[in-house]
Amino acid sequence: MPDWEKLVREQLAGLDLGYQEENEIIAEIVGHLEEAFESFCREGISEQDATRRALAQVADWNDLRRKIYLVRNREDNMEPRVTRFWLPGLLGFALAMILDVASHRFLSHPLVLSLDRGTPILRFHISWILALPLVGAIAAYLSRRAGGTLRTSLLSSIFPVLPIAAVFLVAIPTGLIVGHPIAYGIVAEKILYMALGWVLAPGAALLTGGLFVQRFLSGGSRSGHGVNAGVA
Amino acid sequence: MIGAGTKRGTAELAILSVLESGSLHGYEIAHRIERQTRGKLRFTLASLYPLLYRMENKGLVRGAWEVSGNGRRRRCYRLTAAGKKKLLPLRQEWSELFRALRQLAKVADA
Repeated sequence: MPDWEKLVREQLAGLDLGYQEENEIIAEIVGHLEEAFESFCREGISEQDATRRALAQVADWNDLRRKIYLVRNREDNMEPRVTRFWLPGLLGFALAMILDVASHRFLSHPLVLSLDRGTPILRFHISWILALPLVGAIAAYLSRRAGGTLRTSLLSSIFPVLPIAAVFLVAIPTGLIVGHPIAYGIVAEKILYMALGWVLAPGAALLTGGLFVQRFLSGGSRSGHGVNAGVA
Repeated sequence: MIGAGTKRGTAELAILSVLESGSLHGYEIAHRIERQTRGKLRFTLASLYPLLYRMENKGLVRGAWEVSGNGRRRRCYRLTAAGKKKLLPLRQEWSELFRALRQLAKVADA
């Protein structure tokens, strides 16, 4: 008979629950695999096939670990959209704003874009943009950890620029059309520059971090499957 | 395609139903559901335990370590008072749904 405990302990490593709780979950799953294995053996199936069939009950150990973690931490009592999108997104937004303020306060030489008459329309620090991939990565990681899909986690990673994008897409054009129809043509180019600085550049930086996390996590998941196949 | 909520609802009903007759450990729950439904409903380890833990959080079942007939320690689940209370309305809800679907199927066939 395979060493089920060693196998389950390896596959559920990093479950991140209390020592006793984790041991109880492992013991319970080990018990289930033992029962399944013995049942297959009683049907006359070879030990090797019985092992394979028992293990086939878990297609993705990473997914099982995540589900158990969520249920045991009772996070699923919260609306999934809150934990998968809003919380990581809002945390990312807060981090991005803190970094923005910090870079304005402690670093010199912000990049300034201005209107023809010298009115500054945009001030941002390159160091802020460079720090944003980390913010996007944190938000995407938290979203994925809470069971978020690829799309949800990428959306939560770019969350800090979504409110600003909404302003550009709705509020500014509307304000210009309604309030200053003549000036619209003149400043349209500047609006594009502003959108570039406030939405596209930070959005790309945040998305880079989010995509990095996706790549990292999917790589981990693939290696988990490899272990399964080897054991089976 | 059957949504996650529907699947979870039917799965909860299945687990509550088999536990009605007494306490069972995880493997027995899955095995009994499969046997009683003649293989139409199957729980894998991966689908069973997250659901059992969720039902435990909701106070529908309670797990406790017991020594089984073959001398092994197994975590056995039994219905709580809340679980027993939920079983009847859940059964009615699902049988109404199936009755409605059967009626729809008859109309479609006619």
